[in-house]
Amino acid sequence: MKVNVDKTLVASIALHVLVIGWGLLTFSSKAFIAPEESLPVDIISTDQLAQMMAGQKTGAKEQPKPKVEKIAEAKPEEDAVGKVTEKKELIKTNSTPEPPKPVEKPVEKKPEPPKPVAEAKPKEEPKPQEKKPDPAKEDPIAELQKKLDTKKPPPKPQEQKVAAVQPQQQPKPKERTFDPAQIQRDLDKRDPTRHALAGTALNASASLGSTSGAAANNVATWQGAFQGAVKRCFTPTYNGQDANLYEADIDIPMKIDGSLASEPVIVAVRGPSRSIAQAVAESARRAIVQCQVYSFLPKQQYESWKLIPMTFGLKDML
Amino acid sequence: MNRRRFMTLTGSALAMVGGGRALAQGDKRLRIDPTEFRPIPIAISNFVPGSPADGEVSNGVTQVITNNLKRSGLFAPIDQAAFIERISNIDVAPQFQNWKTLNAQALVTGRMTRQQDGRLKAEFRLWDVVTGQQLTGQQYFTSPEYWRRIAHIISDQIYEQMTGEKGYFDSRVVFVDETGPKERRVKKLAIMDQDGANVRYLTRGSDLVLTPRFSPSSQEITYMEFGQGDPKVYLYNIETGQREIVGNFPGMTFAPRFSPDGQRVIMSLQQGGNSNLFVMDLRSRATTRLTDTPAIDTSPSYSPDGTRICFESDRGGRSQIYVMAAGGGPAQRISFSKDDNNATYSTPVWSPRGDYIAFTRQGGGQFSIGVMKPDGSGERLLTSGFHNEGPTFSPNGRVLMFFRDPGGNAGPSLYSVDISGRNELKVPTPGFASDPAWSPLLSSTSG
Repeated sequence: MKVNVDKTLVASIALHVLVIGWGLLTFSSKAFIAPEESLPVDIISTDQLAQMMAGQKTGAKEQPKPKVEKIAEAKPEEDAVGKVTEKKELIKTNSTPEPPKPVEKPVEKKPEPPKPVAEAKPKEEPKPQEKKPDPAKEDPIAELQKKLDTKKPPPKPQEQKVAAVQPQQQPKPKERTFDPAQIQRDLDKRDPTRHALAGTALNASASLGSTSGAAANNVATWQGAFQGAVKRCFTPTYNGQDANLYEADIDIPMKIDGSLASEPVIVAVRGPSRSIAQAVAESARRAIVQCQVYSFLPKQQYESWKLIPMTFGLKDML
Repeated sequence: MNRRRFMTLTGSALAMVGGGRALAQGDKRLRIDPTEFRPIPIAISNFVPGSPADGEVSNGVTQVITNNLKRSGLFAPIDQAAFIERISNIDVAPQFQNWKTLNAQALVTGRMTRQQDGRLKAEFRLWDVVTGQQLTGQQYFTSPEYWRRIAHIISDQIYEQMTGEKGYFDSRVVFVDETGPKERRVKKLAIMDQDGANVRYLTRGSDLVLTPRFSPSSQEITYMEFGQGDPKVYLYNIETGQREIVGNFPGMTFAPRFSPDGQRVIMSLQQGGNSNLFVMDLRSRATTRLTDTPAIDTSPSYSPDGTRICFESDRGGRSQIYVMAAGGGPAQRISFSKDDNNATYSTPVWSPRGDYIAFTRQGGGQFSIGVMKPDGSGERLLTSGFHNEGPTFSPNGRVLMFFRDPGGNAGPSLYSVDISGRNELKVPTPGFASDPAWSPLLSSTSG
């Protein structure tokens, strides 16, 4: 007996199996993983920001604490201006390509005005630096002539460095070669721009903001996040005209993982009707238990939320 | 309950003695004041039938409880199709994790069993799903035909346990049933459960009936009937079916209403073109005049403590609401429309809770139902439309019922709304219906 198999049917089934299988694998949902930390975000206008950050013109002048990045003998922050000055020598050497003057050495000595060079030969270098700002008013040709006269260069280390760089510039093809070792050498020779600020206690910022403005309050706190989380589960039902008189104080013992260490404790209830006030408190207690675990609470600040005292009210229910 | 209270007190004491470390640091308490209302998610498991024959009544009780709590607007019953666990024995603690998964805050379980003597035994337990504690558990015995009332009583227990307020489900509503074409309406006095079930007619419809009102202390109503002569005020006992004329007064009588103790009836009597307020002692039948003005004073309503009366009067030119002492004297106008100087206020009703006076406001071509505090402040309109009138409070003062007439050939219907303006619902009635009056809780009057 011969069984007729519809090839199109077989092909259709195979194709469907393939497509559905592919779909199952591709579109399978992944478990949603809540972020470890939540960041409360407020959207505010520029006016509000300006208002929050505003200080007072007549406010007392602030005395910011010095920043400290490592614990060691106190060393005040150095004046950055001085550092910049030291480095200028390097910059000077590199930035020589001013005038495409003819031959070799003129380039090196270009920055140095002729007269100082002549005078300074036996002296130290700082002087040429000082004079650099006032570029020579002299005739460049005369300058060149003088340089040729005083051919023998002063064997100062810095000048050598300059010389070392220069040859690379001269032979054009070699100019493009990348020499990390040279760069390393250059870097090593530099003084560190800035030393870690030392002190007896770490202090990342000079102050928490303006003492006279409101900037110090612009901090996302765990309190706000906790209030928001509990509020999501709090479903009181009373909305009488005296709703604002009802309150429940509840203490919440917490574990460091953000779960409850024990049942929330109803410390006090207030309101004209004892039964309604108690219902408000029970509703709040259920909300606290139901909405745990509060894993977003910062573990570093556990001491501050080990026991959270809260008051639940109904003043905005109407 | 005692164990729970003990634990709470013990916990409170411990917290005050040694636990308050953060408090001791002088930190102020974090504060939460919710700004939006959300109903309580509650799971109502099907009541377990004691025998296969009890299946129908078990399902009926479950449905009535679910419907009551849902219509209150304070609860959000969870769809049974989502249940993970089926309760088959209410004497075993449920697996709370199964109900926490549904976000239920409370769980209701119950059982209906027919006894050998023919009575029906109803048991129920209310569980706090979050803490795993039983909040309350009760059992009742009744005749099988009263199974709906048992369901209402259980609903009230749940409501009270979860909100701290008395419920209102075990109550009835008397209203004017209207049938027939608009020109020849037949109006009969009718009574039903607050959810629209168990409708009973109290009059045959041969005479026009108006303004039925419940006694706050007994199963009696007072109403006005237009017979062959002047309209008369009647007292009607719902249990016995007996009725009697309150008194014969010259002229027309309107809007009778009981005092909070049920011992007096306050009403207005028409004399010439004016109408004044009178109160009659039901025992001695002695009548006392309360107002004497060349105006129309009508629709009086007592405050729940019986010391004051609110009523409507056009003594200022337009119909407004006034408040005065129960014994008469100077009256103070409390209704002042902020946005419409031509608005009029009528049919004031004092809440059984004492905190609000409900009214009908006419202005801007619309009839609105609203509430205001007894000093006239905090006016809030709850609903507006072509014609809304005749508010009446639920026994706990939490809900208002009124009638709405859409105009045209259609007739009026009953509606209910929360005093905050939420949860407006149509109340099912057999035909057109108007002039509702809500009874007190049956358990507070007949036991």
